[in-house]
This record gives sequence, structure tokens and C-alpha cells, in this order.
Amino acid sequence: MLIEIEGASRSYGHWPALDQVTLQVAEGEFVVVSGPSGAGKTTLLRLIWMGDMPDRGFVQVAGFRSDMMKRRHFAMLRRKIGIVFQDFRLLPDRTIFDNVALPLVVSGSSSRAVRKRVFSLLALMGLSHRRNSYPHQLSGGEQQRVAIARAMAAHPLILLADEPTGNLDPEASTKVIQHLIDINRGGTAVVMATHDPRRIPPGSARFLFLDGGRLTNAESWQDLEETR
Amino acid sequence: MSLWKALGRETLNHIGKRPGSRAVTLVMVSLAFVIFNTFLLVSWNLERLLQRELQSVRIEAFLSPELTQAEGRSLSDLVSTMNGVRSVYYVSVYEAEALFRAEMPEQERLLDLLSGQFRLPASIQVSLEPGWDNESGVRSLAAAIQGLEGVTEAVFGEEYLPGLSKTVSAFRKLLVFLGTVLAVSIALVVAYTVRLSVLQRSLTVEIMSIVGAPDWFIIAPFLAEGTLTGLAGALGGLLISVVLSGMLQGAVGHSFLPPQLFWTVVLLGGATGAVGAILGIRPGKTSDGSNNQI
Repeated sequence: MLIEIEGASRSYGHWPALDQVTLQVAEGEFVVVSGPSGAGKTTLLRLIWMGDMPDRGFVQVAGFRSDMMKRRHFAMLRRKIGIVFQDFRLLPDRTIFDNVALPLVVSGSSSRAVRKRVFSLLALMGLSHRRNSYPHQLSGGEQQRVAIARAMAAHPLILLADEPTGNLDPEASTKVIQHLIDINRGGTAVVMATHDPRRIPPGSARFLFLDGGRLTNAESWQDLEETR
Repeated sequence: MSLWKALGRETLNHIGKRPGSRAVTLVMVSLAFVIFNTFLLVSWNLERLLQRELQSVRIEAFLSPELTQAEGRSLSDLVSTMNGVRSVYYVSVYEAEALFRAEMPEQERLLDLLSGQFRLPASIQVSLEPGWDNESGVRSLAAAIQGLEGVTEAVFGEEYLPGLSKTVSAFRKLLVFLGTVLAVSIALVVAYTVRLSVLQRSLTVEIMSIVGAPDWFIIAPFLAEGTLTGLAGALGGLLISVVLSGMLQGAVGHSFLPPQLFWTVVLLGGATGAVGAILGIRPGKTSDGSNNQI
């Protein structure tokens, strides 16, 4: 299993963000985690990229187990994960090229390899002509596509997307979701958190529902509707 | 692009930001170093004065009136073989009187009046080997000479040397105290600036961490910021001190710091800045117990 979460709980003060969550994600799988605001979706994703650690239970991702992590392991783990956020989190003082190149630059890739990979990703996202622009010069949809390109730059095993369409109009949302599906078809496991799973085409993903920190399985988003 | 090249670019990019707050920090660090340099300068000049005095110190051993001139000379030969003695000069009773008359002509009449009952004593003037020209060396050699049979008293200027020594020692202690206080203050100022930098660049820090940058890659620009602030502040402080020293040269004669002390101050600045940066990037804890820093 690429991701294995076993009885993981996480509380902030007296508020249980996640309660005894168990989840397994195989290589190349597409998992959609849905639930209302404050359900614990972001916390779940944070546990996966180990930006936060469970109070109880454990998380194992790409061979790295949360209760056995040493400081140097975090960088190694995160090179195997790409992350996309609702608010894009692009560096405003760097060009689109530099933003996308960042994961490769910090891992010491050669300039040539960086250029080749970044040009290819920007072409894939239809943003080649924007490579010298700055994030504020792009629309929300374009910024999110840059964020996806950055997340995919270092050929990750897993792509985590936390409400990637939350700030986008319907047209841009559809584009972004199509990119995520394409990425998944390329063999990368995708875990996407969203409060609106209806945009995901049926049959393309496994659906999970998270509420009050508890996780339940569903066959499709229609099932989720019924669960709600 | 190699990781080092990327790190260099990252550091330059980082240091080019926030010139205003960086300038304020630099001025504060420079002024702290001006205070430190002033005390260092005073202490170093006093130390030099003490060394000069010690180098010109002679031990003068007065001989018993019972000794004959031959016995005095043989005692002088004995002293010349002692450790720490560079040369000796025997001053006979007659020579002592001649010297007295030459050096104090106004007292010559008094000497004539007392000539029946009093004669100036013969003495041995002892100059010291290099390495013995410090207060404890002089004192121990004078005590050894005074212990010789036929020597009534050995003097070396003990009325002013201990005072000068104590002043220099007090200045040294003050310098260490002041240096410590200023180093802590400078480190805290730098730490505060670096912490502001960390907060202002929290998005960059977070994204770097998320995309798998090693810790040292994220920390290095902040360390460089602190170290360079310390180095530049020390250099700025030295520059101001050079100007002030030049302006005061006419009123109070002194020498400026030698190159080795100059560079020591610069290195001290760099080290203090680095410590400040380390303090500034230390992880803090949020209310939920998770780290909020690098």
C-alpha cells in the first residue's frame, strides 16, 4: 500500500479533528475525500504529507511511518508527494517558471533537466506562454494549473489536492479536475479533498466521506449524498 | 542547477529583501560595536602603556655599607647569573654620589653637609630579560635579589606599577563584561530581525518544506542573513570608531587597534550574528503544540 493510515486520531485542544481513521490507498488509485467544512479533510491530508502527526495510531506513506520519522526523513518523503492547495500557495515574487521549478531546484537537479521538465509541464497545462509571468498576473484557474505543475515537477508517487477547485469558477474547476484525472491515469495516486464531489466523473474515483473526524466509504458521490 | 548554486541564488534573493529593516538593524549593531570598540581601544592602549613601563623597569638593589667595592662587584657578578637578568651595572659609592650631584644639583649642598655622617649606598642596577618584564616576573626577581646577603633593599617602581596593572586588569574585566552584554544584545537584535524575516517569508519556508527542500537549504539564507548582519555591523562599528579615533587623536594621543584585534572584532560580529540567527530560527510552539517555525 502506498498510503496506510491505522487508527489515526488528531485533536486540537478539545476538538477532535480526526477520530480513529483507518484508510488504505493503493498505487495509482484516485481517492476523493468529501465532507462539510471542518470535517477534518485538511487534517487528513496534513497527516499524509506529515505536516502534522497523529496523537494516536500511525500513518505510513511510501515506506515512511509517522512514529518512526527522523527529521531528515521529512524532505525525503515530501519529494515523493505533490501537494495542491485551495489557495494555490505560489510564491508571489517568483515567475511561473521558477515556481514550477522549485521542487527540482531544491533536490539539486541540473539546469538542463529543470528546464526540460518545467517546459514540458507548462506545455501540458497550456501555460507555456505564461512562463515569465508572475502569479498575480494569472487567473485563478491558471494559478491552480501552475500549482498542479509544481506538484508534479518531481514525478511524485502521490498527488494530494486540498479543495483544488474551491476558489475556481465552474469552467476552471472542470479543467483542473480533468488534469487530476489525467495525472492519475499516468499512474500517480491522487487523494483529493473536496466539499463538492459532484464534479468528479462517476467511476473515476473511490469516494470517502468524512464528518466529525470519522471516515466512511461510499461507491459514488450519489452514495455520499445519501450518507449525508 | 546544483544545489549549492540554487542555495546561493536563494540566499541572494533573500538578502535583497526588506532593505529598510535591515538598515535599522545594521545601525543598531554598528552602534553597539562602537561602544565595544571604545572600551577595547582604551583597554588596549592602557595595556600598551603598561607593557612600555614594564619594559623600562629596572631593579635597583642597594648594597650594605659594610661591603667593600670588591665584594660589591662579586655580588654584582652573582646577580648577573640569575634567571631573568639581562645585564647588571655596579654603581659604586663614589659613582652614586657623582650621579646624585649631576642629577640633583640643588641638593648638592645637603650632601656636603651630611658627608661626615652619611654616604649614599653602592647599588646594582639590573635590567631584565624579555619575558620577565611583567609585574610578577619583576616582583619575584626583586625578592630573590633582596634575599642575597649584602643587599639591603631591592626596588623596582612598586609604587605605581601595581596601580597601573590593576587599572588594566579592571578594564579587561569590564571589557569582558561589556563584551558579553553587547554580544547578547546584538544576538537578540539579530534574532528579532531574523524572526521577522522568518515570519515574513513563512510562505516561502512552508513551500520549500512542502516540496522537499532539506532543512539546511531552508535555514541557510537566514543564517547567512544573521552572519552578514553581524559582520557588516562590526565593520560599520569599526569604521565609525576609526573616524572617532582620528577626531580625538589631537586631544588624547593613542593608537588604533592593530590588525589582529580589528579582524577579531569582525569575526566576533559574524559569530554573534550567526548565534542571533540560530536563536531567530528556533522552532516556536503554537497553542496546539505544533511547530510554527522552520
